[in-house]
Amino acid sequence: MDIIVLTKRVPVTQEEELKVAPDGRSVDLSRVPFRMNDWDNYAVEEAVRLCEKQGGVITGVSIGDMESDEVLRRAIAMGAKDGCLIESQTVVHDPFTRALLLKGFIEKENIPFNMIFGGVQAEDDQFGVTCGILAAMLGLPFASMVIGIDDIQKDTVILRRELEGGIQERISIKTPCVLSIQSGINEPRYVSIMGIRKASKVERRYFKAEKYLDGGAGSLIDVTRWFYPPKKEGAVILQGELDDACKQLIGILKEKGVLQ
Amino acid sequence: MSYTLIISEVRRGVFEERNLDSLGLAHMLKKSVYMLLPDGQYPVNEKWSDVLIKTDMKEEMFSMPKNICLLLEKVIDRFEMPDEIILTHSSSGTECASYIAGYFKLPVITDVNGMDKDAKTFYKSYYSDKVYGEFSVTGQGPVVITVRSGAFRGYMEERPDSYKKETIEGVSPDSDRTFIEFVEEEKTEIDITKAEFLVSVGRGVGNKDELPAYDELTGILNATLSCSRPVVDKMWLPKARQVGQSGKTVRPKVYLAMGISGAFQHITGMKDSECIIAVNKDPEAPIFQYAHYGIVGDMNKVRDKLKELLKG
Repeated sequence: MDIIVLTKRVPVTQEEELKVAPDGRSVDLSRVPFRMNDWDNYAVEEAVRLCEKQGGVITGVSIGDMESDEVLRRAIAMGAKDGCLIESQTVVHDPFTRALLLKGFIEKENIPFNMIFGGVQAEDDQFGVTCGILAAMLGLPFASMVIGIDDIQKDTVILRRELEGGIQERISIKTPCVLSIQSGINEPRYVSIMGIRKASKVERRYFKAEKYLDGGAGSLIDVTRWFYPPKKEGAVILQGELDDACKQLIGILKEKGVLQ
Repeated sequence: MSYTLIISEVRRGVFEERNLDSLGLAHMLKKSVYMLLPDGQYPVNEKWSDVLIKTDMKEEMFSMPKNICLLLEKVIDRFEMPDEIILTHSSSGTECASYIAGYFKLPVITDVNGMDKDAKTFYKSYYSDKVYGEFSVTGQGPVVITVRSGAFRGYMEERPDSYKKETIEGVSPDSDRTFIEFVEEEKTEIDITKAEFLVSVGRGVGNKDELPAYDELTGILNATLSCSRPVVDKMWLPKARQVGQSGKTVRPKVYLAMGISGAFQHITGMKDSECIIAVNKDPEAPIFQYAHYGIVGDMNKVRDKLKELLKG
């Protein structure tokens, strides 16, 4: 069972203050930490577990500038055999273009696979469609939100997809196929600094993105502007020292009748 | 002819409420609204659309990516290409949208929460909802869109009493992917949807070892402990405790959100709570936009201070 795992290096913005340039053309991410997209971390782990059981090799693939080499090193440290970077100096915002690059790369470089895994979505753009577009372009069956792989037979995988409200659906899908992996499907292994250092010695391969666009079909959508979300009225912030704020909080709980 | 096509979401015999946002967006565009529906008996207000296209495919197969493309081919054959194809931003909606885009080579934008009325510019959130991106469609359409739940409901309007009904039959479902069964969550004793007072913990808790102290706090407050997705993903609390789109929708009297930044999927599950109080160390966290009251600070310190004040 050979698996290609798509990984993306993303900024971790949950606790960061983001600055949009006055002309709205860019968002300053220069002081934001980056890491492997959380969903991809689960996807790599799931691939590694499957290959540990079934045999096969994992190829990590990423689109980005040379900095993205770090997510390939991480994938290798987790158990991938190989890492390939599709090098693009500019950020590819359109998921259609990303899928097109991946299709061109996988076909032209003859990367072997029975399955392609990716995360359900990227933390930065929250698009969640690259895997599905790629699957359709390759003419392969696709399932997203995969929260459990129950059984792997000769040319079929039985898996569960997460739906809304705590419900899942169990489906059967033929291989080769493309699956997007949901967070929580497993517990990704801890990767030590030593592990990353060791992975650095495994050669990664670098490819130029331009090779795979066939001169045409650039982006179908473009980002034209960035802006801050419209502010609502917002919360009344309880002021004062911790002690004061908590006393006010207790007052609210009593007023609402949930605390005696 | 120029029309907007809605691919409806019907799950276990229910026309999902999320479809109202697809309809709202279509109504905002002021074009003819065509709605594609799976087979089955389920209530749906027919006056929301101009043309209802009922298929003979059961909902479980209808909502699969390849099948929806096969149905779409028939729709295009019969009525020409739509101007927009709209789906819900849900597990199956987004799955199908991506496959449609790849299959028909179309531009796709997901989780759309705003649009200008000529359907050329779309807005979607980026970077943990802290920044919005404005997108324009540069490629050949129709554009495929998934809509954020709640974003366009306000534009809904009933159409005059002149809707038409069409049927599409005889499309055989693809055999590469088949439905087996729905899997229900394991039954547990805790039902967070019945609680009047929820204390909900998120990613900010940082460490599993911090959780017992929240159990103690909920004990003192006579509240129920719930959480956001990251806490379940890390297997620190069971799925039954999860609030949000993929977990439970709750409407308690008081929802005390601690260390929850407010990803939209979480907001969907708790925004109708009577009173929302948020504790977060990031003053820019989106949760403060939805909360009635907030404390900017370390959740674990707030927890310990509350315990101290309430015990004493």
